[in-house]
Formats: sequence, structure tokens, C-alpha cells
Amino acid sequence: MEKVLLKNIENPNSADIAEYMSVGGYQSLGKALGRNPKDIIDEVKKAGLRGRGGAGFPVAMKWTFASGDPKTPKYLLCNADEGEPGTFKDRPILEKNPHMLIEGMAISGYALGAEYGYIYLRGEYPAAKHILEKAIKQAYDKGFLGDNILSKGVKFHLAVHQGAGAYICGEETALIESLEGDKGQPRIKPPFPVNVGVFAKPTVVNNVETLANLPYLIEIGGETYSKIGSPDCPGPKIYCVSGHVEKPGVYELPMGTNLKDIIYTHCGGIKGGKKLKAVIPGGISTPVLPPDKIDCQMDFVNMPKHGSMLGSGAVIVMDESVCLVKVCYRALKFFEHESCGKCTPCREGTGWLRSILGRIEAGQGQEGDVDLLLSVAGNMIGKTFCPLGDGAASVVQNFIKHFRPEFEEHIRAKACMAQG
Amino acid sequence: MITVNINGKEIKLEKAVTVLEAARSAGIKIPTLCWHEQLEKYGGCRLCLVEVEKMPRLQTACTLMVTDGMAVRTETEAIADVRRGILEFLLINHPLDCPYCDKAGECELQDLVEKYGPTTGRFKEKKRRVTENLQDPVIVRNMERCVMCTRCVRMCEGVQGASAIGVIDRGGHSHIEPFSGNRYNCEYCGNCVSVCPVGAIMSRLHRHSYRPWQVKENIETVCPYCAVGCTVIAQVRDDVIKRVVPRIGSPVNNGMLCSRGRFGYEFVGDPERLTSPMVRKNGVLEETTWEEAIGLVAKKLAEIKDRNGGDAIAGIASPRCTNEDNYVFQKFMRAVIGTNNIDSTARMGYAGAQAFIENIFGQGATGNIISGLSNSDTVLVAGGDPTTINPILGLQIRACSRKGGNVLTIGHVRGLRNFSPVELTPGGGRETALLERIVSELVSRKGLPGSNTILESRIKTVVDAAGAGKADVSEKDYPDFIGKLTASGTPAVVIGKDLLQSAGSGYKLFLLCAINYLINGRLYLLSDHANEQGMLDMGCAPDLLPGYRPVGYAEFRKRYENAWKTKISERPGLNIFEMIEAAGKGDLKAMYVMGENTVFNLPDGANVEASMRKLEFLVVQDLFLTETARLADVVLPALGWGEKDGTFTNMERRIQRVRKTVNRAGMEDWRIIAEISKNMSFGMNYAGSEAVFEEITKISPLHRDLTYDEIAAGNVIYPYKGEPLRGAVGEIPLNKPETASDGKITLGIDRVLFHSGTLSRKSPALVKMYSESVARMDPGTAGALSLKDGDMVRISSKSHSIELRLSVDGEVEPSVVLVPNIFEGKGALSLAGNILDPVLKAPAVCATEVTVESVGKVSS
Amino acid sequence: MDIKDIMFSQAAIKEIEEIRAKYPTARAALLPALYVAQREFGWLSPEAYEAVSEILGVPKAIARGVGTFYAMYKNRPMGRNVVQLCTNVSCMILGAERLVDFLKNKYGLEPGGTTPDNRFSLVIMECIGACGTAPAMLINDDFYENLTEKYIDEILEKYR
Ligand SMILES: Cc1cc2nc3c(=O)[nH]c(=O)nc-3n(C[C@H](O)[C@H](O)[C@H](O)COP(=O)(O)O)c2cc1C
Ligand code: SF4
Ligand code: SF4
Ligand code: SF4
Ligand code: SF4
Ligand code: FES
Ligand code: FES
Repeated sequence: MEKVLLKNIENPNSADIAEYMSVGGYQSLGKALGRNPKDIIDEVKKAGLRGRGGAGFPVAMKWTFASGDPKTPKYLLCNADEGEPGTFKDRPILEKNPHMLIEGMAISGYALGAEYGYIYLRGEYPAAKHILEKAIKQAYDKGFLGDNILSKGVKFHLAVHQGAGAYICGEETALIESLEGDKGQPRIKPPFPVNVGVFAKPTVVNNVETLANLPYLIEIGGETYSKIGSPDCPGPKIYCVSGHVEKPGVYELPMGTNLKDIIYTHCGGIKGGKKLKAVIPGGISTPVLPPDKIDCQMDFVNMPKHGSMLGSGAVIVMDESVCLVKVCYRALKFFEHESCGKCTPCREGTGWLRSILGRIEAGQGQEGDVDLLLSVAGNMIGKTFCPLGDGAASVVQNFIKHFRPEFEEHIRAKACMAQG
Repeated sequence: MITVNINGKEIKLEKAVTVLEAARSAGIKIPTLCWHEQLEKYGGCRLCLVEVEKMPRLQTACTLMVTDGMAVRTETEAIADVRRGILEFLLINHPLDCPYCDKAGECELQDLVEKYGPTTGRFKEKKRRVTENLQDPVIVRNMERCVMCTRCVRMCEGVQGASAIGVIDRGGHSHIEPFSGNRYNCEYCGNCVSVCPVGAIMSRLHRHSYRPWQVKENIETVCPYCAVGCTVIAQVRDDVIKRVVPRIGSPVNNGMLCSRGRFGYEFVGDPERLTSPMVRKNGVLEETTWEEAIGLVAKKLAEIKDRNGGDAIAGIASPRCTNEDNYVFQKFMRAVIGTNNIDSTARMGYAGAQAFIENIFGQGATGNIISGLSNSDTVLVAGGDPTTINPILGLQIRACSRKGGNVLTIGHVRGLRNFSPVELTPGGGRETALLERIVSELVSRKGLPGSNTILESRIKTVVDAAGAGKADVSEKDYPDFIGKLTASGTPAVVIGKDLLQSAGSGYKLFLLCAINYLINGRLYLLSDHANEQGMLDMGCAPDLLPGYRPVGYAEFRKRYENAWKTKISERPGLNIFEMIEAAGKGDLKAMYVMGENTVFNLPDGANVEASMRKLEFLVVQDLFLTETARLADVVLPALGWGEKDGTFTNMERRIQRVRKTVNRAGMEDWRIIAEISKNMSFGMNYAGSEAVFEEITKISPLHRDLTYDEIAAGNVIYPYKGEPLRGAVGEIPLNKPETASDGKITLGIDRVLFHSGTLSRKSPALVKMYSESVARMDPGTAGALSLKDGDMVRISSKSHSIELRLSVDGEVEPSVVLVPNIFEGKGALSLAGNILDPVLKAPAVCATEVTVESVGKVSS
Repeated sequence: MDIKDIMFSQAAIKEIEEIRAKYPTARAALLPALYVAQREFGWLSPEAYEAVSEILGVPKAIARGVGTFYAMYKNRPMGRNVVQLCTNVSCMILGAERLVDFLKNKYGLEPGGTTPDNRFSLVIMECIGACGTAPAMLINDDFYENLTEKYIDEILEKYR
């Protein structure tokens, strides 16, 4: 498949507007502005585009809700918080193809009637901040942003808002709180952001990759776009693969590419020819899979059928040398660190789970600890305020579900077998 | 109509509410921890999770809105398990110290654990330890008991508006802390204490001294400190007030209190309280019997009256005493002594301003509902910080801002600084010109409404005057200010005493009235005394009888004469300043001061003292041996707040019951006076305060037919079945002052949130919050005088000088030194001059010129 | 007592005013203003919070609550260069923990600590989005990927 989202990124100047325009950049914006906003939404609907931030929500539907709300001004927020461990798919777009994102946002803003946009960029991407700000300035200078875009009387302003190290700000209502200058703690829903979002105005939050799809989608039309990859959630998809593979990195492939193919065909298989032990397919919050369960289509529809989720498409591959108790422990340390503290089960439960896992990992596990882990996780799941806490608990549940003997062995032997 | 089914019970609702509210309305209790009726919903603790049909996940009842046909179960076995699980999480870090915790018995966590069962410690790691924090004067913190419900923070930020505490750090590390990380240094309202469900933050005043279940009585009464008149509940055991708490749902303060109201009750049991009457013998005050004291007073007053006439005697009433006390007192002066020489410290601004405003807009014009301020689209504040003078009223202005209303201020108002005020800070000299400009601009933008011709003719005079309306307004926020004022639809104008005590106050007040008229606003007149309004209603003024009937009209007088069965002098009496002057000249022979510290609370105390010393006979009736009481020939100890029944009338004209909370030997102020009266052969036989009130309702047109029972039922705002209010009348005096701004330093009164003076300085908790008067000055002015923060300075005026520590503070306006009037020997008013505004007859305290010099650096 | 000097430099005030103009509310400028403050004051000291509070009209306890929520604000003094090493799963399984030990043993740099010469502080990071080139770290604003002990030696040389 020809590269769409990662087009031209080998070019060292790909972030420059001239380079971007030389490969056809900003033509879709012109095309879009020549059409009725409603047509654009229809086109996106026809394309079947679903959000790439993790939940796979139909983009056109979200836009329709926001554009139908009478309150103005409306806001379009780009979720560039990319915090899910294992995920590095948005970064190349932000750093190498910023204009594709900007063009995508201008098109989206026009379609849903948003006059203001912010890119909520994670604090850990300082280089991207400078690149984006430079690109935004270039886009203003060329009239692709501003009060009168391409002299068509269309208004869209864009700025970068830098986060400061909080995974939870990837959750859209926490992101909104953070943009408003508050702690990133999720809000009560309803009301939903499409009605009462940032600054109490109708707000659409979309992922970087989602928005970067727009120029191409408009270029080829929804009909054609919908033929790419999985019929239920079509389009190009960036998979980012890390861990024990020969060729880790970002791979832009049709949505629904088989996980096994990703690992063995595209990434050259397990590093050093070692044995595969486990795969986390969609970022650390998604259920881990044992080697015999990885023959599955990586998309929003099929992954749940195989007991996991597409998530952010972040594939973490672990070979036989890896101690899964330790991985699970490290994951919970992450969730403990990132729990926003708002709700009881997550605030207290993540730390408790981490401490039990910590003692098992340190060879001080006790009889009954695995059941205790399951019980504590059970007291969290379904009771937390937002999916972060659920995710933390389900990580523990799934590691134990597939690898319980390893945990028990760890407790019995008071040491790690995998690492010797 | 929405129908929901909760636990099989059909509930019909008018409008969509939360599942929790729906359940509560049907008497179904759902456990909660982070939810609180005064606070915004949060949904964090997860204890209120319930099952909702057709919803896959459990839902929090406190956040979920009901929809028609919804079916909810709140108590199933599965839910009980969930709640036990949540409680287990909360107990991970909670110490098991209920036996030592003062909250035990009213702790929401303890109750929940009792109901859903504790889970035996499956948590094997170390609990978090935080030591008890006693840094604050009135609050004790045991943060290891905190369950992170954030109720305190949401209270402090979202309702109190102090934003003094916040959640620091994140996740399992998050904890509640003030900015300093240690001492709160906050408004000490204690409203966070009210909402904390556990024993994490508690009042220090009753630490380890009682348990909630030992409280024998909860007595509802009214705060003694300011004219907001907050409802308070005194919790009493063994005849001691153990705690004072607000009541959620009370119309004035709805569950909120300020520092004074909550923590200022200890004066009631102060060991320095006077208990025995005293009589001066050989130059010293000696304790004596009531018989002797009362007999002596009666005899001396009768003597002087016979010899020099009733007008040689004067009385000073008290804005801290009840309506009943004040009524009987003025009746005594008028009917027994035979003089209209009755006045009070309301003459320091409130009384004159009130009369001036009512003259324009009609009686009761400033009697607007306090809570209504929060619904105004614009609030204009001039002449003081409402958040310190009338704190609970101040909260309503903060709420207005929070709801999106505009807050406009003339002068910097510290308590509103975080509420997006549009400030104009013209400084003393330019205030008048600025107000004139605003009036002119409103006239040109909005035109004259045409409803009050007298007022409009005056406004035209002002607008047409040369110079008016052309004042050069340099403030960059002026366009915003005038724009918002012009556009306002439901504005309110709040006027504080600083304006009433400035040079040219009468003219400025006129300009504010004009503004109010042009924008069709509601007026609020701040008052720092609990019953200042009621005292005036009772006729404690030299020219007005109870219910504001002018003493000069025979047909009005007649009615009172009939009721009191005696003649009333037609000659208006002396006002408080004239009394002092007359005493100084020897024209006044005797004074009877009830519950007032005139030496401290009038300008130029040294002069007041010297004048009062010239009196032949001085009676002071008070709770403490004040500066004034020490001059007296006879000192009569009265029962004070908390010790007696009666009524107060707040600034809204809401008449409220104050109640006896503890039993003390002694007499109410009114009863002492009635006894003296009897000794002077004028029978005043009242069985109790209620009987006094009954007489008031017969005589005052404002209080007609009112009873204690009706007052107790709440929401009694006068006129109560009364005669129609007097409309606006006649003359509006205009007296434009010469404005001189010559760069001299002038005095300002610093109105400290934690104090009222007389009572507060006898309340240890309030003294701990603010224990030493400091003078405040802005860095520029201090710098020009080579003064530094922390210096001891001598502040001198023509009349007096005092020494205080200086605080250099950027929030003070230039060329002003702010001094509070709280502690003996350090009062701001002692410096002030006695120049009265020709219209309001209030002293221009704030025009007092002073010098400030360093008298030495102070270490630390 | 609180003496309100102007605590920000003129340049910083101008920068914050420009930031402020990007948002409809002053409050929204809080996160970026805290970045400016930590650059100006070296870390988010009480004075830094007060300065931000003053300039934006946000109560200081709130500003501090927000500032301590986010991991990347410096709520204590730190060394001149902040080494931000990721130890999350992808980095961990490719040897990040070994690098933590290496920094400790060779440079005396403990997680959360600062070298005595104030040259480096070490902060352990969650995933920094460089998992494909793990292990990875940021020093101040610069990314370094595919780390080895030897490479770290070379990199640290550049920071004084
Ligand atoms: C804990 C949590 C973290 C999330 N992190 C991210 C993220 O880093 N980036 C992202 O785009 N979406 C993230 N999301 C999903 C967003 O809430 C939201 O669904 C998404 O930005 C919508 O964009 P999309 O429709 O384009 O996918 C996260 C969700 C949760 C619950
Ligand atoms: S589950 Fe609760 S504590 Fe955890 S991140 Fe979400 S809201 Fe915060
Ligand atoms: S006492 Fe009042 S001002 Fe102080 S922290 Fe509590 S709620 Fe806030
Ligand atoms: S101190 Fe009390 S009110 Fe505040 S969060 Fe803790 S438990 Fe809740
Ligand atoms: S002093 Fe005033 S505001 Fe404060 S509690 Fe008493 S009546 Fe209410
Ligand atoms: S009471 Fe509903 S979540 Fe706390
Ligand atoms: S796990 Fe280290 S960069 Fe992602």
C-alpha cells in the first residue's frame, strides 16, 4: 500500500510547507472549502472513518452532534497526548508531517463549524511543539489558517497547547479540563463535550492520526476510502511495534492487517530468533495475548473477538526472556503513577495492586496473593470513574488469566524463573 | 412529569433530578461520601453506585439524572459487596483511631463501615502516616483520616470562594493542603470543617472536650457579629456553648458561616465578664448590690432631671443589643427622662445614609434580600470590602461572579480580587469626579427614566455643572466598567462605610444613588453590627420614634403618648456627637450608655473621654469593663448574647429570634432599665422579652401584629402586615465638597475579617487569628517615607498618636495608611477628627491627615 | 508580609501576555504560564506560583494544585540538566533498568536525585513515545534513542 499518513517522511524537510505543498498538500483544503460543510461530513460518513485514539468512535457522528448544537463558537481539539505506553504512532505525523495534521484540522473545523482549534500536545514532545508552531505560522502566512482562509470567508484559528506529563489528559474530558487550566481529571458525562466541552462550548476531540486522514479522504473521496482495509473500520492505520522484534518501528498498513503478519512479515519476526512469550497488541491498557492467540485482524471490530482490543495499535512484543510478573508490575506502577486520584477504586486500588505485584516480583509473594490480586482488581473493574482504572484492573486480570502459573511459580520459588 | 422506580417504589418528579435526589425525596437513603448538598457534584467516592435497568455498568446515583421510566435498585447484595470493596479501599490508609477521634459519632465513614461491614485488613503494607497539625488557631487537621472526597476543597473554592486549599499532587499521593503547605492563612470561615465527612479537619475550639452525642441542646439563634444576621445553632452542654454551627436551608446563610460567626462565641464564657454592679466610691469602682446600684441610678437621674431638666440627660443605645433592649431604652429616655437625647454609633454613617437613601427612594429602599445578589447580572461595590464587613453577603457577590455576573468596584476590593472585578481605583481625591463622570455618562447613554422628578432635577444640576462628567479617567478599564454598568439588567449597588466616612460623603452617596437610579438597581448598605438596623427601627434616634415616625409631628407623637401614657418632648434631641460636645461644655449633666464603648468607637477618643469625664453622672451598662465603663459612676452588667432572648433585625429587615443558650444570673438590658424606671415611679412591667415585643408590635407600624411564633417560623421581613411604606419625599440636599488632593497621607479604617472590636477581642479564637493590630501601607508610600515592612511606626494625627507594626502591602491604595479599630489603645478612631459631613452628619474619618514615622526596626 | 514586587522579568510578562491572548480565559493560560515560571525561577518555588497567581488572577493554592498534578513541572529545585529516562515496558524489556543502575553507579545519579555539582537530575519517565527505538530518554528538550551505556557517556558529555 502506498503510504498516506507517513508519506514523504523520509524527506528531511517534510515538515516544511513548501515540501508538503510540492506533494499535493493543502489541495484537499481548497477542495473542501468549495463544498458545503454538510457534504464533507457526509463524505466522512461514507468513508466510515473511525477515531484512531483508541475507542474507534465514528468520526462523522461526533461531528454531526457538535455541528448540530446551536452554541458558538465551537472548538476542535486535536488529541496529541499520545501517552499509552508502547504508542509512538502520532509522533511521526507531528514531527514529520505537521501540515497534514493542520490541513486535516482546517478541513474538519470547516466541516463541523469550529472556528478555533488547539492541538493538545503531550509535554514529552518538546521538539514537536516547535515544529508544529513553525508549521502553524507558515500555514497562517499562506492563508490556510486565519479569519479568511483561502479568501473564502472561512475562519479557523489554531494553537498548540502543551501538556505537562499526565497520561490521563489523553482522556478527552480530562484533556478539556487541562486545556482550561485545571488538573486533568475527567468530567462527569453527560453533558458530552460535543455539547458542553471546552469553555462550555460544543467541542470535538479527535486523535492526531484521525485528523491526518482527512486530506487523503477528501482527495480520493469517501467511497474509495471505504475500500481500504477492514470494511467495518476502513482506512490506513499506523501500527507501532516495539520490543523483541527484528525491525521495530511504525508501519502504515491497511486497517485489519493480521497481528501475526505484522510481527513476522513486516517486522521480521522475533529478535534473535527467540521464542515469543506474549504480545500486548494495542498499548499497555489492552489485554495481553499469549503466542497462540495472535492470529487476528488488528482492527476495532475483530480484536475484541480475540479477547483484546486494537487500542492505539501499539504492539509490544515480548520474548521468552521477559518476566511477565515484572511487566505486569511495571504496568501497574504506570497506572498508579498516572491515576488522577479522583475516584476511590483507582486511586487506592492501583497502588495496592502495584504493591502486591511488587512483593511477588521481589520474591516476597505470599500464598493467596494471586487471588488477592484478582479480588482487588475485581473491586475496581466497573466501579471506576473513567476507563483508566478499569484498564489497570484488566491488565492484572488478563496477565493472570493467560499466565497464572508464572505468577504462582514466582511466589513459590520466591524468585523469577524467566530471568533465571 | 417523570416517573422513576426505585427499589420497587414509584416516584413522580416534576423535573429531572439526580437519582440520589429522587431517592431522598422518597425517603430512600443511598450512601454517599463525596456528595454534599451545598457542593457541585463530583462522583469520586463511588459509594453511591446503584444498579440501573438497561445500563451495563453500575451508576453513581449522585451524578446520574433520572429519565422517565428508569428503574433503579439501591440495595442489593451485589451492591453491598461493591460498597464493602470501596470502603476497604478507603480504609487502606485510614488509621483505626475512632476511639480517639472527636468526629466519632458523627463520622460518615464510621457509619458506613458499621452498615456495610469492615473488611479485615487484607492490606499488608504500611499505612500512610501524617501527624496531627496544630498550626492553625481554630482548625486541627489529622490528614491521615482524609478520604479525599474533596468536599473541603470544593467548599473553599466553589462556595466560600477563598480557594485557600487545594488537592496537591496526584493519584495516591494526592492530599489536601493550603498554599503554604502548612498553616492555612485563610479566611478561617470553617466551612470546610462543616463539610468534612470524617475527622480530618475539625474545629480546635472543642478539641477533646466533648463528643457529638453529649450535646444536650441545639439552640437556633442569630450570630451576634454583623448585620447579615446568620442563623447559627449553638450546641450546648453543661451550660457551656461547645460549638456553633450553621444550618443548611436557613434563608440568610444556608449552611455557611464566617470566622466570627463560627468561632467567635467564646466571649460568652469569658472570665472577665462583669457579673456584679459597680459603683464609684472615693474615685474607685467597687462591686455592690443591684439594689444599691439601681437605687443610685434612679436617684441621680431623677435629681438631675428635676434640677436641669430631661434634656440635660442623654442616652446611647446599642447596635449589639436586641430590639427589645433598645425599645425599652428609648422609651425610658423619652417617657421617663423626658428627652429625645437618644442616639447611637449608627451616626457614624449608617443612620445618615439610610435616611438619605430612604428620602430619595422610599422607606426600606436598602432592605434587599442578600441572597438575591448572586442572581444579579452586575454588582457595583463602593466604599468597602463586603467580604470582610458582611462576609456572607460577600459570598453572594463572589457567587454572582462565578455565575457569570459582572463585579464592578470603585477602589480595590481585596476579597473580590480573584472574582474578575473590573476595578476603578481613583484614589481619595478623584473619587467624586469619577462618580460624576459615571453619572453624566449614564445619563447620556441611557437617558433619564422620568420617574423621580426631584432626583432628576438634582442629577441635571450635577451633569450641567462645569467640569462634571469631564473628569479625565485614566483607568484602562473604564470603558469596560461603564459598558457593563450601562448594559446591566438586574444590577445591585453595594455601599460600604468607608465611603460614608470619607470627605464629601453626602455628595458621593448622592452620586451613587443617582447611578442606582439610572441603572434601576437595588441598594445594599453594609453594616458591621448585628442589630444596627433594628436599633434604628426601635426609635433610637434623636428625631425618630419607633417605626421611623418623626418626633416633630404632633399627630404621630400622639399615638406613642397614648401608648406610653405620658408626654413626649417635641424637640428633637442631640445626636451622639452633639452629646459629646454638650458634655464637654458642661451642658449635659448625665449620660446613660447601654452596650456601647463610646470612647473607643467614636472619633478622637481622647476628646470623648475628656468630655465624658466632665459629666456629673455616667451610667454604663455593658458586658465588660470597657474603656468607657471605666469612666462610669455606676457600671451595670447586663446579660449578653447567648444569655437572653429577643430579636434582631438584619440589613434585609428580616426580624429574627435570638435565643438564650446558657443560663447566667443577671438581667437583660431592658430589664435593668425597667427596674430603674420602676424606681423612678414609672411602671414598666414586662413579663419577659416577648411582652416587650408585643408592645413594639402594637406601636411600630412596621412590626404590626407580629408574634414570636411567627418569627420563629422564619422569613419575617418587615413591614409585617404594616402600613404602606412611606414613599420618597421632598428635599435632596446637595452639597458638593471642595476636593483637595494634596498628597498628604490620610487615615483609613482597616476592617479586619476576624474582628468586630468589642466582642471579638474577647473571643480567644478570633484573637488568635489576628492578635495584633498592624497598619498597612502601599510600597510606594512606605518607600517615600523610608519605611519598611515590619517597622514599628508612630501614626499621629492632630488629636492623638498610636504605635503599631507596619505591613507594606501592594493592595493598599497610595497615600493611605490603614489601621484597624480593634484593640485597646491601638484603635484607628482615636486618631480621627470630628469633622462631620453636612448632609449625612457622619464624621469624615477617612479624611484625617496623619503622619507616619518609624520608631524602630523590629527584628523577626 | 506580601510585598508585591513585579516578580517576572519584562520579557516573561510579555510572553505570558501573548500566551494569554491565545485563550478566551486567563485560567486557560495557567499551564503554559507555569512553564514560563519554572524557566524564570528555575523551579516552581512558592514565589513562582505567587507570580503566576498574580499575573493571571488565579488563586495561588489552585495554581499550586495544578502545578503539582503534572509530572513535568519541577516542584523542587533541580539540576541544570534533567535526564528523563523512560523505564516503561518497551524500554524496560530492552534494558532500561540496566541504564538506571549505570547512571547510579557511574554518575551517582539516583532516580529523583541530583548530582552534587548540580549538573544533572534524573527523572524516571513513563513512556515517552520512542518505544520503537528503546531504550530512550530526553535530556531537557532533546530526544536520545537506542541507548547503550557507551552512548549515554557520549551524550552526557554534551551537557555541562
Ligand atoms: C485513559 C485514557 C487515555 C487516552 N489517551 C488517549 C491519547 O493519548 N490519545 C488519543 O488520541 N486518545 C486517547 N484516549 C481516547 C480519547 O478519550 C478520545 O476518545 C479520543 O481522543 C477521540 O479521538 P478519536 O475519535 O479520533 O479517536 C484516551 C482515553 C482514555 C480513557
Ligand atoms: S479511574 Fe478514577 S482515579 Fe483513575 S484516572 Fe479515572 S477518574 Fe482518575
Ligand atoms: S476555613 Fe474557610 S477559607 Fe479556610 S480553608 Fe476552610 S473553607 Fe477555606
Ligand atoms: S479533609 Fe475531609 S473534606 Fe477534605 S478531602 Fe479529606 S475527608 Fe474530604
Ligand atoms: S459575622 Fe455576619 S456574616 Fe459572619 S456569621 Fe455573623 S452574621 Fe454571618
Ligand atoms: S457520593 Fe456519589 S460518587 Fe461519591
Ligand atoms: S516505553 Fe519507553 S519510550 Fe515508550
